[in-house]
Amino acid sequence: NLIKGSAAMSEKTEVDLTGVKQNTGVWLVKVPKYLAQQWAKASGKGEIGKLKIVKKQGKADVSFTLNEDLTSLSALGEKAASVRAPRDHPFTMHSVGGQTLAVFTETSADKISLEGMVVQRAECRPAVNENYMKLKKLQIEVSTKPQRLTEQMDRAVTNNFKPVSNHVANVEYEKKKRAEGRMVRADRQQVMDMLFSAFEKHQYYNIKDLVEVTKQPVTYLKEILREIGVYNTKGTHKSTWELKPEYRHYQGGEEEIKGD
Amino acid sequence: MASLGGSSSSSTEYIVRVPKNTSKKYSIMAFNSGDKVNCSSWTQARMERDMSNRRMYGVEETEGAAGSEFGKKQREEARRKKFGIVTREFKVEDQPWILKVNGKAGKRFKGTKKGGITENASYYIFTQCPDGAFEAFPVNGWYNFVPQAKHRTLTAEEAEEEWGRRNKVVNHFSIMLQRRLREQERGPDDDDEEGEKGGKKKKKKGGRGGDLRIHDLEDDLELSSDESDSSGGEDGDSKPKKKEGDVKGKGKKKKKKKRGSDSEANEDSDDGDFEGLEVDYMSDESSSEEEVGEEKAKSNKEAVPKGIDEASESEEESEEEKQNEEEGKEEEEEEEGKKTPVQTKKKRDSSGESDTSEDSDIDGEAASALFMKKRTPPKRGGGRGSGGSSRTGSRPGTPSIDSASTSNTLRAAASKLEQGKRQVVGGSSESPAAKRLKMESSSTAVTTQSPAPSGKSTPQPPSGKSTPSSSDVQLTEEAVRRYLIRKPMTTKDLLKKFQTKRTGLSSEQTVNVLAQILKRLNPERKNVNDKMHFYLTE
Repeated sequence: NLIKGSAAMSEKTEVDLTGVKQNTGVWLVKVPKYLAQQWAKASGKGEIGKLKIVKKQGKADVSFTLNEDLTSLSALGEKAASVRAPRDHPFTMHSVGGQTLAVFTETSADKISLEGMVVQRAECRPAVNENYMKLKKLQIEVSTKPQRLTEQMDRAVTNNFKPVSNHVANVEYEKKKRAEGRMVRADRQQVMDMLFSAFEKHQYYNIKDLVEVTKQPVTYLKEILREIGVYNTKGTHKSTWELKPEYRHYQGGEEEIKGD
Repeated sequence: MASLGGSSSSSTEYIVRVPKNTSKKYSIMAFNSGDKVNCSSWTQARMERDMSNRRMYGVEETEGAAGSEFGKKQREEARRKKFGIVTREFKVEDQPWILKVNGKAGKRFKGTKKGGITENASYYIFTQCPDGAFEAFPVNGWYNFVPQAKHRTLTAEEAEEEWGRRNKVVNHFSIMLQRRLREQERGPDDDDEEGEKGGKKKKKKGGRGGDLRIHDLEDDLELSSDESDSSGGEDGDSKPKKKEGDVKGKGKKKKKKKRGSDSEANEDSDDGDFEGLEVDYMSDESSSEEEVGEEKAKSNKEAVPKGIDEASESEEESEEEKQNEEEGKEEEEEEEGKKTPVQTKKKRDSSGESDTSEDSDIDGEAASALFMKKRTPPKRGGGRGSGGSSRTGSRPGTPSIDSASTSNTLRAAASKLEQGKRQVVGGSSESPAAKRLKMESSSTAVTTQSPAPSGKSTPQPPSGKSTPSSSDVQLTEEAVRRYLIRKPMTTKDLLKKFQTKRTGLSSEQTVNVLAQILKRLNPERKNVNDKMHFYLTE
């Protein structure tokens, strides 16, 4: 049966509503990827540039200018040295329209607070100029490069598949086997006790697993098993051994000592 | 901040910062504008992740000795790898949010993460700081929040089921009610109880329903003074759930449904809606259900004779029968979720088909009644209290209280029908029903025979009932008197009561006879809605 994690009703976090109560308004701005990358490189106080708002007869023109020190591109590799990120980015303003957008934050301590409502949406576009085109060209080159490369080699690789008299893994295996030696038949009663305790943990066992558990030779083990257990040929538990009914005391998870 | 003055424009510059050390993760909470969510109106809100998708694969089987195999887990894992089955990891940050606003009674929202917003472009939140500079924060995730329905909804199977019945039942209330009943019953888990409960409910409803009169021929009648709206016209879905008190007002009650949304369904059902209904003769299953229900509802009914009597008695009360039966039918249908042919047919009939159709229906109904009888003798025999006039299309104007269960009504009607038919066929004089079908006078005798054991309490002693359910209606002074006592009526209304097909008189004759009767009775007059109404006070 599946154990599903239940919706944790107990740890419901109270949301801090001060942001919306104060009617805090924020802007949601869509920013191109390269620009976001440049912003991530900001140092110090985190200044990345300047936002200029020109109000002309009711209309507002907003544009963002990137700081000079953030125009060097490193993300695109060596070739990027010649190209710089564009600096001018006019904003295209949109209304919020058919959606009510709120902004909420989560702290690492799982505190949730509602920061405010989105009052304006904007798209940050780069000013289209020569510089930007070069940048774009570079980006395309990088992205169209295939991930896998086929190279032709002069000489074949001869480090692998050398013939070996005995593989390393095999050698170790044999050594281990020799160290263990043959399995010794322990006392019958002892073996039975081992089996019983094993069957307490699981109901069905493969003969191989039992051999591993008891460290007994197979024939001997089988003899004992035939005495106290039964072999399942059909059913869900394919070819496994289980204890005879009279020895079993399974009760839905409870483990009881199986006696003789 | 540098400010540049311009002639017609002013421009200001603000510094933009991207704070580095912020531990807060910003996300968007998006609502559909149609939901009209106003965050500032929230007093309190709680939010948590919805973990219901977490399945712990490892611990699927019993962690006990019984039934487990040694090394099962490893084997299962190896097997999955071999077949390349990849189970997606459960990531908490990708799980939906559950937002509860204004506590337990407030709204609930589910916020699902929208994928792919950070793939090609980044969103930033620009807020203005007190010092005038802007701060930009990257948006971590976008969640679309949708309100969660608090009312019950049907599961897919139930919905499919109901869809199949959509032409027959036009009442959503009934559907949900049934479902609720079913769920309730699954607790006790007993079919009998189910039937019983259904029956009891019916009873109760019948009782309450008794106060509400549904008029069959609301349309035909055009009862002037009444709110002719939904009630009578839409017989199919009469769901009188609220007691509206006064006796006089019966039949004029609006059908109030508990669920507001049902009001639309009201309009949909018209008289002719059920004309083309195909009715299945139900299996024994339904019969037994109804049987059980009915038995309970009947509370000590005896067999046929009683039933007939009651049926006869009930016939006296035209309106209540009809309405109760309608209600009962409705309720039965809904509660049991099945239809019986007679019921359906009755419903159809009482659902307001004109009187004219009734006659033609007699055979059909009787036949179906017979069928029903074969199938469920006890049920039919049980004689409902006031279900007699299943086919009365013609007595909407005179409501009467019938507190008996509606099932009784239906049963009585059905049994009465049977009896009637049987009598007609058999020609036995014993059955009052047969006689009653023809003459009304016997009804009195019949009535006296049958005290209403089924709990039907008819305050008005059925006297000289004018319209037995099956066919004839007598235009007598008694009948008119009864009508006028019950409620004020215009001449037009009265005429409608004694339609020519029923009374066997021509329209001219009817008019004359009625005029004479009125002269003799000398009822009082009052003006309602610019129309002259007659009424009598006892």
